[in-house]
Amino acid sequence: MTLAVTTSFIAELLGRPRPAEWEKLREAAEARLAGRELPTTADEDWKYTDLKVLGGISFGPSPRATVDLSGHLLPEMVGTRQVFVNGHHAPHASCVSSVPAGVRFLPLSIASEACHSLGSLGNGEEKGLFEDLNTARFEDGAVILVPRNMKVALPLHLLFITKADTPIAVFPRVLVVLQRGAELELVEEHHGEGTYLSCPVVEVRVGEGAILRHERVQRESDEAFHLGMLKAEVAKGGQYHSRTLSFGGRLSRQQPWVRLAEGSEASLDGLALLEGHQVADTHSFLLHAEPHATSRQLHKCIVDGKARTIFNGQILVAPRAQGTDARQQSRNLLLSESARVDTKPQLEIYADDVKCSHGATVGQLDPEELFYLQSRGLNADDARNLLTYGFAGDVLNRIPVASLRRSLRHLVMARTQADSLGDLS
Amino acid sequence: MLSIKNLTASINGTPVLMGIDLEMKAGEIHAIMGPNGSGKSTLGKVLAGHPSYEVTGGEVLFEGQNLFDLQPDARARAGIFLGFQHPIEVPGVSNASFLRLAYNKKAEAEGRDELDPLEFDDFIHEKIKLVAMKEEFLDRSLNEGFSGGEKKRNEILQMAVLEPKLAILDELDSGLDIDAMRVLGDAVNRLQRPDRALLIITHFPRILETIHPQFVHVLSGGRILKSAGKELAVELEERGYDWVLEEAAAGGLR
Repeated sequence: MTLAVTTSFIAELLGRPRPAEWEKLREAAEARLAGRELPTTADEDWKYTDLKVLGGISFGPSPRATVDLSGHLLPEMVGTRQVFVNGHHAPHASCVSSVPAGVRFLPLSIASEACHSLGSLGNGEEKGLFEDLNTARFEDGAVILVPRNMKVALPLHLLFITKADTPIAVFPRVLVVLQRGAELELVEEHHGEGTYLSCPVVEVRVGEGAILRHERVQRESDEAFHLGMLKAEVAKGGQYHSRTLSFGGRLSRQQPWVRLAEGSEASLDGLALLEGHQVADTHSFLLHAEPHATSRQLHKCIVDGKARTIFNGQILVAPRAQGTDARQQSRNLLLSESARVDTKPQLEIYADDVKCSHGATVGQLDPEELFYLQSRGLNADDARNLLTYGFAGDVLNRIPVASLRRSLRHLVMARTQADSLGDLS
Repeated sequence: MLSIKNLTASINGTPVLMGIDLEMKAGEIHAIMGPNGSGKSTLGKVLAGHPSYEVTGGEVLFEGQNLFDLQPDARARAGIFLGFQHPIEVPGVSNASFLRLAYNKKAEAEGRDELDPLEFDDFIHEKIKLVAMKEEFLDRSLNEGFSGGEKKRNEILQMAVLEPKLAILDELDSGLDIDAMRVLGDAVNRLQRPDRALLIITHFPRILETIHPQFVHVLSGGRILKSAGKELAVELEERGYDWVLEEAAAGGLR
């Protein structure tokens, strides 16, 4: 029976008309999807994240809609923003007047000629189900192209907003290409209201010696499903630094996949704040394909109520990747008895001259830390809230865009009941 | 100000304080000295209310009030300050905002005006001069990545901000080089007032060259074996602790 339901789930999503562009890519994705089913918990990759509930919801096509942007705009990026509503580009909500000449920051629907690399990342690896669904049916998305040696001073803002009166599915698509020596700061945000499924696919190419800083904020609605894929290839001496901050969604999954070439660097940090019955899953894959690359991964979760978080951090060091330096840390703070954390590092090392370390902690607040704060006059509740905030604040403080940092701090202070403690920045 | 009578305490069922008696008046400086593992740090933690220790007997009155009626935070607001031997790192919370929070909690408890960030900025910039702390340490996360000496500086800064009635400084000199020790010793001296009492807990007599106690107590095996004036510190510097222990054993105390 399950099979019948899940087959119809994918068939239903594919049943909507195929958008005109990208025909070849879409056909290939559809061919791969033929006969596929939603994964079940019997599948090792989805062991702790049960998608059964998806099969019971009929997600319709996403209509165009208008949204109120107030509360979403960040002052640094007022003139460098592309906004997408329900998967469609929203030209009147977007503004690119401050984007420097030479940088392409366009909706995919009008930028097709620049995007020969769309769908080509991933080293010929098998594509994921939701990635293929995205390729088969994405309506629109963004292309960012930064030419050689250009250092973009202002951050760019990608805002994906979903407004669902009835359940809908959206497939945001992003392609970021930094040519040799280019530098960019990118903020990607996902917001929404109502019940919907969002399956974004973000593809990133960081050229030789180029640097991309990528802030990813997931603030979907409480009823939303967010199943996102990120693929990044970092060329020789390039740097890719991403921070994924997950607050919303009934069920969310982040799947970053990063390939590091010689002498490149990546940081892949994450913060998830969960409560109620939320489930947040991160399955990351870091491929040290070539020598002397460095990777850093700090994944932090604060889990309250009956929420649940899953972290599966895979690092693969290829035989020729001598001199690899990889560090991974998964730190989890449990705020209730019924919260749950499943964390699993997975290191596969085929080179012999490498520095690789990983560690995972799952626990409550440290009584020594609580006592220290109490000994300075903070009552037990304030001390707890301050430490909980600090656990997250540690990640937030590193966000380079000031207004985003401030707004997320306020969000986290409110969630950790630290807002009564005043400004903690 | 502080009256300790026959205080006993244990940790995980193991007795660590075996009957401490100590009287301290406002304006006095006392030093508690003793070998490692003697229970000196325990005494400080028990007075501050560390949850790992169980008070099994005796009485402690702080300004006439039973100390054990108060939670650790209430003790702090009542005027007790413990300078930690190993201050805790709290990532994600800036030192300045933590100091302001602590200051305002105390001000609130005392019915004084709280300071807003701008007012506090002026206030704290005066205070950091006292401990010769660099301004950048205000913006960094509380104690995170601070060296041992910087952490101790921060403890004395907290003391200067909170203006306690009784300050207990646990191994202030550990992790400090000579210069830093002198700076912090001087800072503590300048903070000393007729209405404030100081309890210096230390293994090495060195710190007492800068901070001069009127009373020195040797603590070992959870008991105070000997109490005398500041000349005792000099004697300990020269002769170590063994003779005090032997003397006490001969006197049937052990």
